[in-house]
Amino acid sequence: MELLGVWVASFLTLCIFSFLYKDNPFFRFAESLFAGVSLGYYIGQEANQTIRPNLVEPLASDFAGNWDLLIPLLIGVNLYTRYVPKTNWWARWSLAIYVGYYVGVNMVQKLHGEVLPQMQSTIVPFSLAGGWLGLVNSAILFVGVLTVLVYFFFSLEHKGIVGGASRIGVWFLMLGFGAAFGYTVMGRVSLLIGRLNYLIIRWIMGTIQSLG
Amino acid sequence: MDWLTKLMSLDRRYIFLFVAIGTALPILFPIGFKVSITPPVRNIYDKVESLGPEDVVMFSFDYGPSTSPENDPMADATLRHCLSRGIKVIVIALYPVGGVTMADQSLSRVLADFPQVRRGIDYVHLGYKSGSQATMKQMGESMAAVFPTDRYGTPLEEIPLMKRVRNYDDMRLVVSFATGIIGEWWANLINAQFHVPIAVGCTAVSAPKYYAYLNSGQMIGLLGGLKGASEYEKLLIDHYPDARATYDRAGLYTAIKGMDAQTVIHTVILVFIILGNVAFLAGRGKR
Repeated sequence: MELLGVWVASFLTLCIFSFLYKDNPFFRFAESLFAGVSLGYYIGQEANQTIRPNLVEPLASDFAGNWDLLIPLLIGVNLYTRYVPKTNWWARWSLAIYVGYYVGVNMVQKLHGEVLPQMQSTIVPFSLAGGWLGLVNSAILFVGVLTVLVYFFFSLEHKGIVGGASRIGVWFLMLGFGAAFGYTVMGRVSLLIGRLNYLIIRWIMGTIQSLG
Repeated sequence: MDWLTKLMSLDRRYIFLFVAIGTALPILFPIGFKVSITPPVRNIYDKVESLGPEDVVMFSFDYGPSTSPENDPMADATLRHCLSRGIKVIVIALYPVGGVTMADQSLSRVLADFPQVRRGIDYVHLGYKSGSQATMKQMGESMAAVFPTDRYGTPLEEIPLMKRVRNYDDMRLVVSFATGIIGEWWANLINAQFHVPIAVGCTAVSAPKYYAYLNSGQMIGLLGGLKGASEYEKLLIDHYPDARATYDRAGLYTAIKGMDAQTVIHTVILVFIILGNVAFLAGRGKR
């Protein structure tokens, strides 16, 4: 039975890989199947692992102690009133609560978790406490942050000193993009390695072993 | 120089073929390139080494099957390390499309080598929960409010390990294996507000942005893609004899074996980039 699963998975992998040659019905079949299965999986997980244990079971076992769960239930169900033309404006109340909550969370998160710590880590001392290499790193960080900020400063024309700093900023940006692209290639290749490893070890060698 | 001109119009499917061959050969015939250890990986290893059986580490599976070749080896290696040291482990999943299945599979692979590890006492699998940031923040107040039961339906109050874990205060480390933005939230939301040490094992695509969090001290370490995972495997193999036996097992997909193929393919890509540029420049000279 396990081998059958391996064959199905391998067939679907080859269907997806077939796009590398050209678009074809096998690729489109595998793509549609993946989209459908993913959606089904998602709905199943939400129902079984969130809605049932966090909403249905507490209400069923102790309604008096958990009646407040009806409030998020109503807010959630209310979202679907948008499909009824006469009441579709009701859904805006639920959306307003949802958006309001996440705007609040994100504001604090961005300021407290990104802007302030990143600013703090950028303000580094120019000293030999970390050795010459530390001093060079601090200088690179200082020049990099400053020139990239200048590049994104559009209130002044990029001429003279501003233009020069902006060009250095572009170089820092290009180095950053290059590193990101290198990592992207590595990531995509890793996925290819994983699939080919599956095809060679699990499918081909596994089938040979089970037959022999 | 005629071949250089032909190279400019080479059908890209030949390049796909070269890449496929470059990937397949090291899988069939492993080379065993040297793996060097970098500080971001060493930091996570050292942190786990500093913990013992009285400590609790939480693993968050924040990735799906689409990136499992990268995230699986790092999840397996760190989980194996914690269980080898007797550290108590809590497993959760926050990624909706496949996170909990990835957690199931990782536990199944690793626990096969640890028959003495008991569910509910040495580890607990709490399953998946939706809600993203709201869920993560709520866990800072009460784990039981977010996860009333474990993955198998056992109420949390009946699980011995969870009797002493109320929230992040009772954890010594949280490790997120992430494919998207959830890993960032652990650093910029949970570490910032609850000060629990965070380590992230991310895909290579998202690794560059995590270095900013690493540099600012919001994360204690980083496993960046397959390379990071291979480094952790190497550390385990060097220090734990049982791990060496596991990773030497024939047919087991490991990051170290994967890095052989990475090196070969990168060489193939570099050769094509150089040839492509030479051909382009030669063609421009003729024009």
